[in-house]
Amino acid sequence: MSNPYPVIDANVSPHFRYNAEIRRYLPPSYRLRAIPDVEQQWYQAPGGDYRQDLYGEHYPASDRETLCRHLFDEGGAACAILNPLTRGNIADYLLNSRICAAVNDWLVERWLDADATGRLRGTIRVNPEDPRGAVAEIERLAAHPKMVQVGIPLQSREPYGKPVFEPIWAAAAAHNLPVAVHINGGNGVDHPPTFAGHAHTYPGYAAFMPLNSFVHLATLIIEGVFGRHADLRFVFADGGYDILTPLMWRLDTFWVSMRDQTPWVDRYPSEYLRDHVRFCSSAFDGPTDDTHAARWLDFTDKTELLMYGSAYPHWSTTSPTAATAGLSDVQREKVLSRNARELYGVGAEVEGSLS
Amino acid sequence: MPVMRRRPVCAVEDLPPGTMKLVPVGKYGVGVYNIGGSLHAIANYCAHEGAPLCAGFVGGTNEFAPDAPGHLRYVREGRILRCPWHQWEFDITTGQTVADAAKRVRIYQVDVTDGQVYLTA
Repeated sequence: MSNPYPVIDANVSPHFRYNAEIRRYLPPSYRLRAIPDVEQQWYQAPGGDYRQDLYGEHYPASDRETLCRHLFDEGGAACAILNPLTRGNIADYLLNSRICAAVNDWLVERWLDADATGRLRGTIRVNPEDPRGAVAEIERLAAHPKMVQVGIPLQSREPYGKPVFEPIWAAAAAHNLPVAVHINGGNGVDHPPTFAGHAHTYPGYAAFMPLNSFVHLATLIIEGVFGRHADLRFVFADGGYDILTPLMWRLDTFWVSMRDQTPWVDRYPSEYLRDHVRFCSSAFDGPTDDTHAARWLDFTDKTELLMYGSAYPHWSTTSPTAATAGLSDVQREKVLSRNARELYGVGAEVEGSLS
Repeated sequence: MPVMRRRPVCAVEDLPPGTMKLVPVGKYGVGVYNIGGSLHAIANYCAHEGAPLCAGFVGGTNEFAPDAPGHLRYVREGRILRCPWHQWEFDITTGQTVADAAKRVRIYQVDVTDGQVYLTA
């Protein structure tokens, strides 16, 4: 693989070596509490959630050198944004915030500070059900030079445009950290995974779960969050962008008719996308026929919004080549490199090593 | 293109503030509105899908008022015509929608001479 630009992998999930390893990073008051395992109990992929060749004594993506070899040496990426899972929306939100802090401490110690390649960047995981705790966690870690975004679950009992969450987004924006929304691990106190209830089996879950991102996105626009926070950026890391175009058309249409109810939305809802929204690529998104891919990506400016994310070590892990099949050279460069470099300010330090 | 013509509408006392006369001009007609003593005319044809615009309610609209309870302030009272089909908000005095100035319908000259209202359309 040779690209004239550094490929940025914006969606990688490292794991603890085994579930109980997280307890080493919890404070004594919380160390012996019941904590869900990282796997979701329902809707596991047939054959396992992760790439089958990665299962061994420890979890897939739990060894730094192996991960770097797979992504960089064999996969051709120059830089990876690590976004670890946490353990679900736990009813004890204070416990959940400690779990987030434990994950962050582990990420810093075992991945970011230990990495000599300079190619790994991290995510500050926070618990939106504890807004004060989430803000405190952002303040605790925002200065770490390798932390490049804030991470939250896609699963939520309220859409993220609600005012209760706004202090978290304000803190992230103040530190110029995008907020990445990613389907979480663990078993939380959640709504069903689709608008209409529980899916039957894994394909129903996997096909429709990422569409929840649009509900978060629509409320962030309509409730004025993006309008109030010029520096706030959201990254939807599980895809869902192939329904972006029809749903934005719908939202734009309703806005012209119902604008007087939300006059703080002072432009078409779709006009917020370029300044505030990015998506990571997903194996499930896009046309099934690659000959439609280039035209399809230009609808609703998706060429500017999409960043390559391998989803490593997920079973659907996608290579840069597969993620950009059918795209033009201009689109490929933006999706594989430019959009993520501009969002995260990464890539320049490894560019010299590519020649 | 049809020729514009200055045509009588009614006596000014028959068009008091807050009322409208629909004048049968062209294919769809033109609505002549008295907004607080000021006369305005707008095509009876919505720019969206061709609805009879002048059948819509006239009122005001909301602007963002961050310090007000509910964050809304009611403004432009009597100037905003809402299309009866899809609720687009047209400012009768400009012909433009509040949401998007590029979405607009035609407006026309109105004058009063010797107590008679004239429309040029």
